[in-house]
Amino acid sequence: MRSRVQAWFAARLPPTDTVTLTQGTVYILPSRAGLMLVATLAVLLVASINYQLNLGYLLTFLLAGSAVAGMYVGHGTLRGLTLHLAPPGDCFMAENAPLEIVLSNARSWPRHGIGLSVSGAPHWVWTDVPAQGSISVRLAFSPRTRGRQRVPTLTAQTRYPMGTFRVWTVWRPAATVLVYPAPEPLAPPLPPGEPRTGGTQPAPARSGGEFDGVRAWRRGDPMKLVVWKKFAKTGELVSRDGGQAQRHELWLDFARAGVTGTEARLSRLCAWVLAADRLGIEYGLRLPAMEIPPSSGPAHRRHCLEALALC
Amino acid sequence: MLNTLRTLQAMPRDSRDTLFLLGVIGWILLPHVGNLPVWCSALAAAMLAWRGWLAATGRPLPGIAWRIGLLALTLVATLATHRTLLGRDAGVTLIVVLLALKTLELRARRDAFVVFFLGFFTMLTHFFFSQSLLTAAAMLIGLLGLLTALVNAHMPAGRPSLGAAFRTAGTLALFGTPVMVALFMLFPRIGPLWGLPSDAMSGRSGLSATMTVGHIAQLALDETVALRVRFQGRPPPQSDLYFRGPVLAHFDGRTWQPQPLRHDSPPAARLLSVSGAPVRYEVTMEPSKQPWLFLLEAATDAPALPGYGARLTPDLQWLANRPVTDLVRYQATSYPSYRLGPSDALARTTLRQFVDLPPGFNPRTLQLAADMRADVRLADARTTALVGAVLERLRNGGYRYTLEPGVSGPHSADEFWFDTREGFCEHIASAFVVLMRALGVPARVVTGYQGGTLNSLDGYWEVRQSDAHAWAEVWEAGRGWVRVDPTAAVAPGRTGTAQRLQVPRGVIAQALVTLSPDLLAQLRQGWNALNNRWNQWVLNYTQNRQMDLLRQLGFDTPDWQDLSLLLIALAVAASLAGAAWTLWERRQHDPWLRLLARARRRLAAAGLPLPPNASPREMGQLVRALPATQDTGTRRPALTPDQAQKLHAWLLRLERWRYAPPPSPTGPATPSHHDTLAALRREFRHLPWPPPCRNSSRLLFFQ
Repeated sequence: MRSRVQAWFAARLPPTDTVTLTQGTVYILPSRAGLMLVATLAVLLVASINYQLNLGYLLTFLLAGSAVAGMYVGHGTLRGLTLHLAPPGDCFMAENAPLEIVLSNARSWPRHGIGLSVSGAPHWVWTDVPAQGSISVRLAFSPRTRGRQRVPTLTAQTRYPMGTFRVWTVWRPAATVLVYPAPEPLAPPLPPGEPRTGGTQPAPARSGGEFDGVRAWRRGDPMKLVVWKKFAKTGELVSRDGGQAQRHELWLDFARAGVTGTEARLSRLCAWVLAADRLGIEYGLRLPAMEIPPSSGPAHRRHCLEALALC
Repeated sequence: MLNTLRTLQAMPRDSRDTLFLLGVIGWILLPHVGNLPVWCSALAAAMLAWRGWLAATGRPLPGIAWRIGLLALTLVATLATHRTLLGRDAGVTLIVVLLALKTLELRARRDAFVVFFLGFFTMLTHFFFSQSLLTAAAMLIGLLGLLTALVNAHMPAGRPSLGAAFRTAGTLALFGTPVMVALFMLFPRIGPLWGLPSDAMSGRSGLSATMTVGHIAQLALDETVALRVRFQGRPPPQSDLYFRGPVLAHFDGRTWQPQPLRHDSPPAARLLSVSGAPVRYEVTMEPSKQPWLFLLEAATDAPALPGYGARLTPDLQWLANRPVTDLVRYQATSYPSYRLGPSDALARTTLRQFVDLPPGFNPRTLQLAADMRADVRLADARTTALVGAVLERLRNGGYRYTLEPGVSGPHSADEFWFDTREGFCEHIASAFVVLMRALGVPARVVTGYQGGTLNSLDGYWEVRQSDAHAWAEVWEAGRGWVRVDPTAAVAPGRTGTAQRLQVPRGVIAQALVTLSPDLLAQLRQGWNALNNRWNQWVLNYTQNRQMDLLRQLGFDTPDWQDLSLLLIALAVAASLAGAAWTLWERRQHDPWLRLLARARRRLAAAGLPLPPNASPREMGQLVRALPATQDTGTRRPALTPDQAQKLHAWLLRLERWRYAPPPSPTGPATPSHHDTLAALRREFRHLPWPPPCRNSSRLLFFQ
């Protein structure tokens, strides 16, 4: 039953990245404060009847009229509002990913007190939208699963103007977001490089004083090998690696991650990819289904992370 | 005032909102000061001030022990003052303190709502004491203030100005007004649901049931309106406007009281005979908490009074079947020429009580009566001659009318006749009746209102508490009870013309009079006319008026079910109107879409192959391609590249208006980067739109 209701609901709300709210998508119900107001009005009315106070009737009915007007004004706060989701960037699992939402108001007076939240989350971000203008709001959501997925359903609500009605809408953005595995927090150092495969050339002799690359500092590296400039800039200890890059290449291998379990392995590989990228060294990624040859740079990093996310 | 507002604006939002709410609550409580025990006003003021200080200095709220302690103190003090926790006065005291106390506990949303709703209820409690125009105006301001605070509490983002919240509150109240009017006019009026507590009606002024010397002097200073009268046709002369109230026949030396009702009192209807042309009029009477209905002398038929029954006492006074607790309006018919009880035989048995005097009082007056009786000319005189002689004495004996007669001793009639020789109507009437009784003439005191002033603005006669009057009736054989107004003999101005003793004025009124003698009178007339309209249209809107309204709307025999039906029909109509408005708004209210549609029509007319939902950007690309193509007819490009560029730029700006985020995510959009829709619309007309293509123009031509 529940799933059928949800299916009906989903069919009612086709996913879209830009939605202009209409009568059909804005819901309204009295809030708890609204029920309190009804009780107050009842007391006022009974007092007016019992003491035959015509002025009491006026007060009661003016208050009731204001509440009815408030219902219309509150509904109008969301009705006609345009919500637009800026294309979200990729993110890591279990981290807060920003969603940027632009609220546009076409009418010539402002809309007040609009709250946005990821459906089910307790935190609301409140904003006003200026007259004939727009404003952008950042929401955070932390994905629970890895891979390509739809942006979660969002809720916009308002209690403006009197708090007696809750007006809300549910919005399913069409945009998807690619969620990378969560990087392992305290991952072990990068694995040692592997000898270059298919090495037809003989390994050249180490030419003293010439270094071709850098690698993470290891215990036992002499002080003069440390790239102090890099340390001063980023705080990372990096050693010059003379000629090794030519003989060895770094392969981040799913099978040799050192832990068991797919997610744990992906998590560690993710941490390694980030570490290798930070060091600026070339690295390759070997997954059960695919292999990415060693390279470096943002495009390569992104390629690797996407492979991890979709693995 | 402005400085206060500026200081308020400069505060942190929390402090500002709290102080504003406290100010509104203070405004709502202020008019109650006169109705509450002193300790209650002081306690409420102290709590509000304390809370304000905490808010202004950003200190934490007091703990729960404080609140419970204050609450207990309030309960004990209320019990000590009112001897109960129930009933109107105790209830008002408690509510006021609770409202002030609750401000000390403004933590959660729920607390705020409790304050708001207690505030609304406190406003209602004012109407127990006064429903005047001023009270209504003060409470309207209070209501707008509370609504402003309520709206402000639901603007959680940033730091909205109180002005914006006030505008919304005003809009709400404005839109709520039609609902209020419809409900007020059509909500079925029913009687009290249960018995009212005994203190429900105290605190409203009026004539008293008894007459002790000095009492009416206070009323004479009271310029509030007691009755408003509208005559059909020509009103009788002012000197004949005697509105009859309680008849006082029992005198104990100090106080006049009504005669206890006796079984053998003949019903007034049997004593009363009328002649001449009747006077028809309508009286709107302020609540007096007494059952008296004031009518001109003498009315034979019961006044038509909605919600009350009316009966005639043997004293010719009309009484309602219960105290008049709200503003009432009644139609009545009176006959200025009437005779009350000329049949001596019928009255003989009951007349004896009207010559009773308490022994041991007013010896000199008794002596005066004996001397008069001893006078040859009056020895066997008829009642008329005796009355004439006494009135002659009042006229020529150096008697004076005053509002400040001073305290009189036990022999009040003696003092008036021989010592002070001054007094106002009740001294004069009392002394007159005592002397008449001493002469053996049956006499009694009648109280009520005499005179009134015509408000030229709305044509109503206003009878004030200061028009309260006491006169006398004496029994003449063959004529029955005859009205004698001894005050008229002393001070002809007191009755008749409008010239009366002026009540001491306040400073402002005095200044106004010095400035322009007429201005004050005009202001007063205008104010009274306004009050009267308020009474007629708001306070006296009763079930009868509702039914009249329905009759005018075409219902033959209206009842409360018709009212409900009408109310439901109105609600349905209003909902349908709202739905229609929404539909209209949805269809064409989006100005951006309207502008886009206009642009599309222009381009489609030029023959551009536009997809049905082309975005401005797509349109712009088509426009940019225009200069390359040539019109089939003229062999010239439809647009120069320059023109196309202009049009393209405009379309892109149109798109940016809708979809681009403002430059900074939090700040408002700056105009330089962000066009207004109005500017785009203005430019629309001056844009180089491509001319309509020949195909379509030919089509138009042949049509």
